[in-house]
Amino acid sequence: MVTEKELISKLKELRQIKPEKEWVSLAKTSILGETPGFYLFPYFRPALAGLVSVLIFFGVFAFSQNAVPGDFLYSVKKIKERSQSFFVSEQERPQASLESAQKRLKELTKIAETNQGKKLPQAINEFQASASEVAKSFSKTEGIGSNSEAIKKIVELDKNKQILEQTLATKIETEELDNTYKNLAEYLISDFGTRTLTEDKEEVLSQMKELAKQEKYLEVLELLPLINE
Amino acid sequence: MSYFFPIIIIMANYRKEFSKIYDQCINKIYRFIFLKVSSEEIAQDLCSETFLKGWEAYKNNPKIKNPSAFLYRIARNLVIDYYRAKGRTQFVSPEVVPIIDPNPGLEEKAVLNSDLGQVKAVLADLKEDYQNVIVWHYLDDLPIPKVAEMMDKTEETTRVTLHRALKALKEELDKREVKEV
Repeated sequence: MVTEKELISKLKELRQIKPEKEWVSLAKTSILGETPGFYLFPYFRPALAGLVSVLIFFGVFAFSQNAVPGDFLYSVKKIKERSQSFFVSEQERPQASLESAQKRLKELTKIAETNQGKKLPQAINEFQASASEVAKSFSKTEGIGSNSEAIKKIVELDKNKQILEQTLATKIETEELDNTYKNLAEYLISDFGTRTLTEDKEEVLSQMKELAKQEKYLEVLELLPLINE
Repeated sequence: MSYFFPIIIIMANYRKEFSKIYDQCINKIYRFIFLKVSSEEIAQDLCSETFLKGWEAYKNNPKIKNPSAFLYRIARNLVIDYYRAKGRTQFVSPEVVPIIDPNPGLEEKAVLNSDLGQVKAVLADLKEDYQNVIVWHYLDDLPIPKVAEMMDKTEETTRVTLHRALKALKEELDKREVKEV
């Protein structure tokens, strides 16, 4: 049984918990664009400080590009991507979120290929979060159904995901994304249903309807180029 | 063009001021988050995001009354969001489990079994208010009036919460001690 006094002194020992010094200065650099000051020549301080800051800034960013979840520089990579996303307009958001999800999937594939099991859960969480972002961005933008390029990319994303699932021999749950396929497929079918189509395209539309009945929504989306020509 | 340089100078000053705030608060905020998420990588991620959001807000309003309390508020919200997202996107496929080593390493075991590791683990299991009051008062050495301000409670209520938090921590630790025996 611990006394209250002992407990308080144990709690105070938790002050030992500190972040790694290197990470502290790297994170500061990436947030504020500054470097811890050390200078060779006092006369060139401003120039050197600027140069070193710029070099470290770009160096860290360049190195962080290859970081995968669980790596030391991964948080820097995320900060950079998040800062870039501030400048993305609402119209470009679906495209940007798809690219981001593709990146997360590539990281996940890299981890799976190099057998870094410990990093896998975090990488899967990252991918699932980015898949949710894709789902959200697609629900916000009107008229996305006729954006063949975005639909093509979303189909490509799912195919890559399926390849990875085969490698991992497991299913990665992305419920929100699956709902997005359904919504998009239903939107396309109802949209093309209101248009005057050629005989060939009517045939494609009925195939789409059939696939939708069988809940094969991704295959409905794959038919879009045929009807959208 | 004549407005351009004053803006640069003002921004440089803000950066300098926020840099000081960063140096003063980074250890405390990191520890605050780490004790809640128990993972170095996640703590680093959430801590960077806390300061990034803090910096974005500070640039727009450098007259924030209590930057430390402001950063704690961001950190708290981010931790809550993290757990919400984790709950929502929890990975459920059982097949992936064997890929990860379910047994902690020797080093991790040593930490978990140590007294300090146990205090840390029990603290992380307490409810949020209890965790915060303990961390702010005993680890960050904030006096009760300050803690009360951060918790948006009266001093009296904060004292009672602190007492209950310590009691809950002690009881849980005693329970675990008895189980081990």
